[in-house]
Formats: sequence, C-alpha cells, structure tokens
Amino acid sequence: MSFLDRVLLLDIFAGLRVTARHAGRKADTIEYPEQSKEPSERFRGMFRLDEERCIKCTLCAIECPINIIYIDWHTEKTPEGKAEKKLDRFDLDMKRCMFCGLCEEACPTNPRSIWLATKTYELGVYERDEALYLDKAKLTKWDGNVKPYPGVDPDKAPANPAKEK
Amino acid sequence: MSESLVHNVLVPFVKGLLTVILVATAAGILTWIERRGLGRLQIRKGPNRVGPAGFFQWIADVVKLVFKEDVVPSRAEKVIHLLGPLLLFMPAVVVLGLVPWGPELTLFGVTTPLHAAADVNVALLLILAVSSIGVYGIILAGWSSNSKYPLLGGLRSAAQLISYEVPMGFAVVAAVLMAGSLSMVEIIEAQKEAGVWFVFPGLVAFFLYFVSGVAETNRTPFDLPEAESELVGGFHTEYSGFRWAIFFMSEYGNMISIGAVATTLFFGGWLRPFPNVAWLSFLDVVPAFFWFAGKVFLFLLVYIWFRATFPRYRFDQLMALGWKALIPISLGNLFLVALAALWGAAGLKVLGAVLVLLVAAGLVAAWRRPARASVTTRMAAEKVEVRA
Repeated sequence: MSFLDRVLLLDIFAGLRVTARHAGRKADTIEYPEQSKEPSERFRGMFRLDEERCIKCTLCAIECPINIIYIDWHTEKTPEGKAEKKLDRFDLDMKRCMFCGLCEEACPTNPRSIWLATKTYELGVYERDEALYLDKAKLTKWDGNVKPYPGVDPDKAPANPAKEK
Repeated sequence: MSESLVHNVLVPFVKGLLTVILVATAAGILTWIERRGLGRLQIRKGPNRVGPAGFFQWIADVVKLVFKEDVVPSRAEKVIHLLGPLLLFMPAVVVLGLVPWGPELTLFGVTTPLHAAADVNVALLLILAVSSIGVYGIILAGWSSNSKYPLLGGLRSAAQLISYEVPMGFAVVAAVLMAGSLSMVEIIEAQKEAGVWFVFPGLVAFFLYFVSGVAETNRTPFDLPEAESELVGGFHTEYSGFRWAIFFMSEYGNMISIGAVATTLFFGGWLRPFPNVAWLSFLDVVPAFFWFAGKVFLFLLVYIWFRATFPRYRFDQLMALGWKALIPISLGNLFLVALAALWGAAGLKVLGAVLVLLVAAGLVAAWRRPARASVTTRMAAEKVEVRA
C-alpha cells in the first residue's frame, strides 16, 4: 500500500463506495409464494413418462443406482400377429430420488421416453407416500401437482423481477 | 402547584421519562431502519410483510420478545444475571440525558433548557464515567451466565472497551481543549463563537472518536464480543426474552448516545450549519432540536453503512489497531490541537483549514495517480500460476 492509501484510508472509502453504489440497485429478491422463478433450460425437475415411446426395456430401472424404478409388463398379440409388450406398472419412488438423471441417459429411445426436464420444482407435499410414490398414471399425466399457495391472489401478487429480465 | 415543585420534580420527571421512552422507541425503529438499509445495500428487500414497508416488524419483534419465556440458567448467578443488561442499558439513557438537545423550550408556560438531566458543568467527564460502567454490564453478564462462550465474549469485550476508551478519551480531550470547557452547552456555544464546527480543526479527533465509538458500541467491524460465528451470541448467549431485548436496546441506545456526543462535540449540537453566517439565517426555520436529531440520525446511517461494508476484525488486529495506531495518533493530535488552542480561535481556524486542505490535496493526488492494474494483469506480470 502506498503512503496515500495508508494515511487517507482510501481502501476503506473504496469499500464504502462499493456498498453505497449497491443502494441504488433494485432488489433481486423473488417473493416466493406470490412470485416464482423460471428455472434454467438444464434444470432437472419432476419426471415425465411417455408410454407410447417406452419399449419396456427396463434399462432405466437397471441403471437406477438406488433401484427406485419398478417396471412390470405383459405381452399381447397385435392383430398382425406380432407380440407387443404392454406396460402394467411403472412406479417411481420420488421421495428417494436424487435427480442424478441416469435413467434419462440410459433410455435407448429417441426421443427419450422418460425425462426430468419438466421445469416443475414445487415438490412439497403434505402426505409423502401418496404424493411422492408415482405410478404410471401420475407419471404420464404430470403437469405439476402443486396447488396455489393459500391466501395468494395471483392478480394482486407483486411483479416478478426474474420474469422481467 | 408551586413553582419550585414544577421545576424540581415535575419537569425533570417528565424529561427523564421522555428520554427512556425515546431511547426504547428509537432503538426499535432503528432495528427496522437497519434491516431495511442493510437489505438495500445487499440488493435484497429486508422485512416487508408486517405493515407498510415492514414498518411494524419491530413492534412484532418486541411483542414476541416480551412474551417469550425468560430462561435463567440453573447454575447462573441470579442477581448479577439480572443486573447485567440493566448496567448496560442505564449508561446509554444517562448519556443521552446529559447531552443538550436544544437551547431552551417553552411549553405550557414552563421554560426549561432542553436537557433530560441538568446542564452539568463537568458533563463530559460524567459521560465518560457513566459510559464506562457499560463494561461491567457486559463482563458481569458474561461471567454470571456460568457458560463458556458468554465468559469469552465478556472477556473480549472488557479488553476491547478498555483499550478503545483511551483513544476516545484523548479525542474528547481535544474537543475540550478547543472549547475550553467540560460543559456540553458551553462546548456548543464555543463552536458558535469560534464560527467553525470542531470537526474541521478536530478532524483527526473526530475520526478517532468515531472509530472508537464503533468499537465501544460493539458494532461491526468491531463486534467481537458477540461474534456470532465464533461465540454463538457472545455475552448474551444465555439471555432470552426481555432481558435479551434490553441488551438489544442498549446496543442501539449506545449508538444513539455516541452519535449524540459526537454531534455535540464536533458538529455543533443543535446549531445550524455555519451559525455565524447571517444570510443563512433562513435555516433557523428548522427548530434546533431537529438539527440535532438530524445530525444524530446521519451518524446512525453511517453506522449501518459500516456494518454493511466491513468484515469483522480479528482480535489481535483489533488490539493492534487500538494500541499501535489509534493511541499514538490521538496523542499526536492532542499536541497539535493544544498548540492551536493556545493561539486561540484563529489558531483553530488555521488548523482546520490546514487539515481540510491536506486531505483535499491527498485526495486529488490519489485521484490523479495511475490506476492500479487489475488483479489478473498483476498476476500475469508476476507469473503467478493459477491451478485450474
């Protein structure tokens, strides 16, 4: 540090200047129940399953490191005489899932038949076993199971700073 | 009611009551101002749910604290445990009572000087004496809790407050030398006569007073006694409910009283800016009390600004700053001010002008020198390797 810095405490004033300049900025806060954050493109949210694309290969269940995917199927004859697998069960224990995405990577179909890319992050529930043990019906029709926060009027909610950007 | 009863009993009682209420309320409102202000400086919002702009948050906090269970540790020293917060709170109120808030006020036919207590002719001495009692509050609170962290916090605090009382005392002595009196009212009158606030000749003294004031009130960057990340809550770890609230109030009360004393000593108390310049007399529209209160409020804002800016000192750094920097500087400054005061009012003006010019010249020199290279450029020049 030079002599001037030491005597005039310039570094201290530089620090004060930095904080003072921040005083004019707009708060970056997202006030959650009223406002919500738009997740990024690579966000891993809730699962979604497409039954049409799924070939019942069970690779996702095999790849899952904690074995939370359970798949069951039976074979049917199509009118053309071909054998076709029909999905009986596709269960996913969400409360143990760690969102590693290995099931998504293992899926051999293109486009993938199971993916985490729905941007749903509101996974809070009141009854764990009912809400977080997902079966075929829930996984295929997933479009967010979160009810609006009680007492929040969406019309009166403050503007969302994240959405304005 | 007889005249003497009004003057000797009623008026002092009302003024004392008002001071206590003022400190308690101002402390509450200050917490709101501080939390909102810190929010602004840190690009977040701060409390904004209770009332308009979250203003009633402090009332909600007070209500919560009053109704909270008051836990006293079973092996604590009960009487001293109770005494600790009171010993810390009392000096803040007393000091504010000794500082004049304005010249004279006539209300309901009673004319009285605007002090809570009397215009003591050794007020400054009394203020120093009373405010040093606060150390006992902290160290007794820490010791009587019968717990490790409070004890460590209390010991740290005792060392810190005693160290910083020395430069603070010297800074105050500089102001006394300039004014030639220990009475707060006469110090303000002296600033009016000298025609210059004592910040200018006492620039160094004011700086010393302010820095040691931050240390005395245990505020960041000197908040070691209650360093949350090291000592849980420091000396008030074992306190809860309203006793804890008294600690909280006394921190803010001490801030106010330090600001009030600094305003009186260095910023002309209730005087308007340039009290001798006639054409500025339209400023007298603002009552004297509001000049005083406004100046104190600015001090409090600076306190909050400091808290938002600086990280906490390490304990040895704190001690080194106090003993190796502030005390020698304060002694040298005392010598300078004594010389100027010996010369008289003209000497004060000359000293003030010289100090202001020196600082201005230094700032200009600092402004005009070549900008320091950025960290990356310097690292490249010194061939510092960055591990990926």
